[in-house]
Amino acid sequence: MWGQVKQALAQSTARFLTRFATMLPGLAALIFALVVSIIVAFILALIVRRLLTSLQFEERLARWGFSGMADWSPMNSPTLLVSRSIALLVVLVGFLIGIAAFDAQWTSALAQTVLAYIPNMVGAVLVLLVGGVVARFLGRSVLIGAVNMNLQYARLLSAGVKWLVIVLAVAMALDHLRIAPGIVELAFGILFGGIVLALSLAVGLGSKELVTKSLERDVKRSSSELEDPLRHL
Amino acid sequence: METDSIPRQGQDKNEETNGADLVVGIVGEFSPEGVAIMCDALRTLSGAPRIAVLHDGPISKAGSADPTADSTTASLFFVPSATKTEASGTPVLSMATAYQTVFETGEKLGARGCCVIASQVQAAPEWVCQLTQPLLDGDIDLMVARYAHHKFDGLLNSCIISPLTRSLYGKRIYNPMGPDLAVSQRLYRRILAGEQKAGAAGLHPLASLTPAALCGSLQVCEVHVGARTYAPTDWTNVSSLLAYILGPIFLDMERNAACWQRIRGSAPVLSIGAPAFISQETGSVDVQRLVESFQLGNRELQEIWGLVLPPATLLELRRLLRLPAERFRMDDELWVRIVFDFALAHRLRTISRDHLLKSMTPLYLGWVASYAQELQGAGALALENRLERLALTYESTKPYLVSRWRWPDRFSP
Repeated sequence: MWGQVKQALAQSTARFLTRFATMLPGLAALIFALVVSIIVAFILALIVRRLLTSLQFEERLARWGFSGMADWSPMNSPTLLVSRSIALLVVLVGFLIGIAAFDAQWTSALAQTVLAYIPNMVGAVLVLLVGGVVARFLGRSVLIGAVNMNLQYARLLSAGVKWLVIVLAVAMALDHLRIAPGIVELAFGILFGGIVLALSLAVGLGSKELVTKSLERDVKRSSSELEDPLRHL
Repeated sequence: METDSIPRQGQDKNEETNGADLVVGIVGEFSPEGVAIMCDALRTLSGAPRIAVLHDGPISKAGSADPTADSTTASLFFVPSATKTEASGTPVLSMATAYQTVFETGEKLGARGCCVIASQVQAAPEWVCQLTQPLLDGDIDLMVARYAHHKFDGLLNSCIISPLTRSLYGKRIYNPMGPDLAVSQRLYRRILAGEQKAGAAGLHPLASLTPAALCGSLQVCEVHVGARTYAPTDWTNVSSLLAYILGPIFLDMERNAACWQRIRGSAPVLSIGAPAFISQETGSVDVQRLVESFQLGNRELQEIWGLVLPPATLLELRRLLRLPAERFRMDDELWVRIVFDFALAHRLRTISRDHLLKSMTPLYLGWVASYAQELQGAGALALENRLERLALTYESTKPYLVSRWRWPDRFSP
């Protein structure tokens, strides 16, 4: 009986060792792909960092209204964030290529699925970036316009417009990433509609007196414009 | 005087082929009688020039070309005008279009000079001849009207346009942007060539005239024409007005930087006529409203102003926030530094140019409030002294502008 147990153990060990031996070339290819991708990522990150520094990327970001990005960047440097993100992406691609070298069906399918998902991720990041820029621009336009019209709730209006655009951009990005599309659509509709309704109520009811006073001031102003001695042009 | 409109297209087409010595654009709201009076005054110009008149509205028969005119008087003909103001355009934009049309017509007819009449002034109609005769004599390249004004008239001109032009280009011109002015062929050709070369961001047909003349060392002269009628303020549009007026001025600063950085001090220009002083009695100004606009802007636009103004200026503005309306005073030096900082930010495109100029509105209204408080009850002499003090402050603060212009990073806020 012990002889049979020994024989079974020896057979399973031999099967394991055979399987391991067949995987060794794949493993070697994976390690090689990782090493190459790390070297490429390092060189690419260096080039990107120098390019962004010469383009004064951080100053331009501050001017475009993305000064908050420095807060969640490593060492408060958005340049470092971008260069490290690119390096990470290159290493990830290298890892996926290395996994595909195992020549196992499921690893190839996984690699293909992940690689096919990368354009969606890039698209989502682009949508978020553009949405952020547009939100800042529109928020600033509304703020300046409302202040010049002497509206006391200028900041509220500006924040409302900015968050509307941001929520829209996030929903579009999540839709691009195909993350729970049905739930995201419903949640976006509720949230967007809720923000618009809240703004309308805030302006129409909650700040009714402010609006009334503004309108009264405008009526008085238009009737007294002819008597106003100021001439700008 | 009959006021029916006269079909003039057929007759004027023949006249156009012979060219003209002077092109006069009458823009704005003039009655047919008013236009006729202008035309009669233009006929008295010496040298018997051929004058082409552009005007949209109807003219009285008395204003039309006079077939009995002899060879010693100026002859007049009307040119179908494309100076119609677009219904959707602002008054400022439509004025720019009108100037452009007049210059293009001048170029087409080979005129020695162009003149734009846009204001109803109190002086006798002969002021038009004083504006145009020196051009025809070939002595002067740019004739600008100098108006007698109330203390609260032409505020943008008083607080920015005139003193800024004086400090930058070294010449004391009180109304560098007219609107009534006359331009020689040399100058209007320069403007047209500049517009074509640089496209949409090129020379502005009105704002660029005086800088182009001064930087090109051309002769400039002022004509005293008395008081002018000003349009009432559209308070919903002050920020757009600032953007339309200051945009071309700051673009010209950028274009002419090599010229104005060398200039120090200022000198008067040639002048025709005697200055007229008018009563300074006006209605009271609602300073409270202006101060409130300034305070609201100071509270809500700090984030934007912080990208443009240095910390010292922001600190002074915050100090002003605490002052009550009756004690509200903005120092001239603070105001001048603000104008210079905004001009620099416009050049550097620190933020969108439209946002930049519109965000200046509360600061401008703050200056107006301070100015109105100071001059409430003041007379003509006090007004002249006040404006002179502001202009001298622009000149004395110019080194600050030059330093910031040359080394913007060194003084970055």
